[in-house]
Amino acid sequence: MIAIGILLCAVNGRIEAALTALTAGADRSIELLLALAGSYLLWMGLVNVAERAGLTERLAKFMRKPLRMLMPGIGDAAAPVALNLSANFLGLANAATPFGIEAAKRLAAHNGRKSTASKELCMFLALNASAVELLPTSVIAVRAACGSADPYSIVLPTFISSLFASAAAIAACKFFEAYKG
Amino acid sequence: MNYAVPIAVAALLLFAAVKKVDCYAAFAEGASEALPTLIKLLPNLAAMLAAIAIFRASGAADLLARLFAPLLGFIGIPSELAGLLILRPFSGSGALAMLTDLLHEHGTDSFIGLAASVCVGSTETIFYTLTVYCAAAGIRKARYAPAAALLSGLVGAVSGIALIRIMF
Repeated sequence: MIAIGILLCAVNGRIEAALTALTAGADRSIELLLALAGSYLLWMGLVNVAERAGLTERLAKFMRKPLRMLMPGIGDAAAPVALNLSANFLGLANAATPFGIEAAKRLAAHNGRKSTASKELCMFLALNASAVELLPTSVIAVRAACGSADPYSIVLPTFISSLFASAAAIAACKFFEAYKG
Repeated sequence: MNYAVPIAVAALLLFAAVKKVDCYAAFAEGASEALPTLIKLLPNLAAMLAAIAIFRASGAADLLARLFAPLLGFIGIPSELAGLLILRPFSGSGALAMLTDLLHEHGTDSFIGLAASVCVGSTETIFYTLTVYCAAAGIRKARYAPAAALLSGLVGAVSGIALIRIMF
């Protein structure tokens, strides 16, 4: 991907832009990490408190059956997966990412071939892409800022179409599981 | 809605205290487990974000938008939205900026404005989430996950636009 980008920069006569973009991208990783770090520490701390109190186990037990249908080998990742999906649903992006990281780590740990994604992890990644959200707050904010008469008019169609998207993600994963092994 | 999360956190801490859990120690323990993950995350993030940045800066993303515009038109996506849909998986803030442009240009409650809003709302910054989660889990080969994620985003956009056509 980097090679294609550099070649295209050269073709477009913008070779000096290549290095700028690469550096800017790497800079973004530090920014992103700092942005993530605080809430990651906070939520991982709180999750550990919940775990000690036996709460995550209850949630995991409750969610295990429906999640098993999607990800048979979910194991101890059921709790973070459930927390990630519910945080996404409520539109809490800051909380969703730490849970998602934890879920991805546990799903990968279950898998022997460590650097290749298991089918459970693929399902989780694909489900995250469809983002079923109760209130798409950022879009509503932008619509209100642009002077919409009814910024909330898109809530229902957005919700329904993200359900379609989730269904497509599940179907696509099941299809690939069957035909790519 | 604004109260829900703080109250849930307070309830959690009180519940743990009742169960005689040492909240402070448990919090510190959990948070310290988060540190190694963050350190491991950084090098992978640097590589993948650099790749995404140059992909956009080199014009590869625009090229992709132009290549795919006719195809997107064929499945019912207006050409005004092609750029937005190509950008959406790469950059959340970029997509919101483009949505603002589209809303100003076509009107918030026009067909294009509504369709663009739904498209942004029902899809995710797919490559960003894939990058972060794969980096954290030490995954190099995501296999069919990107394909499934992109397909789901496309279904979200197409069904969203169709719903706007039906409902408004």
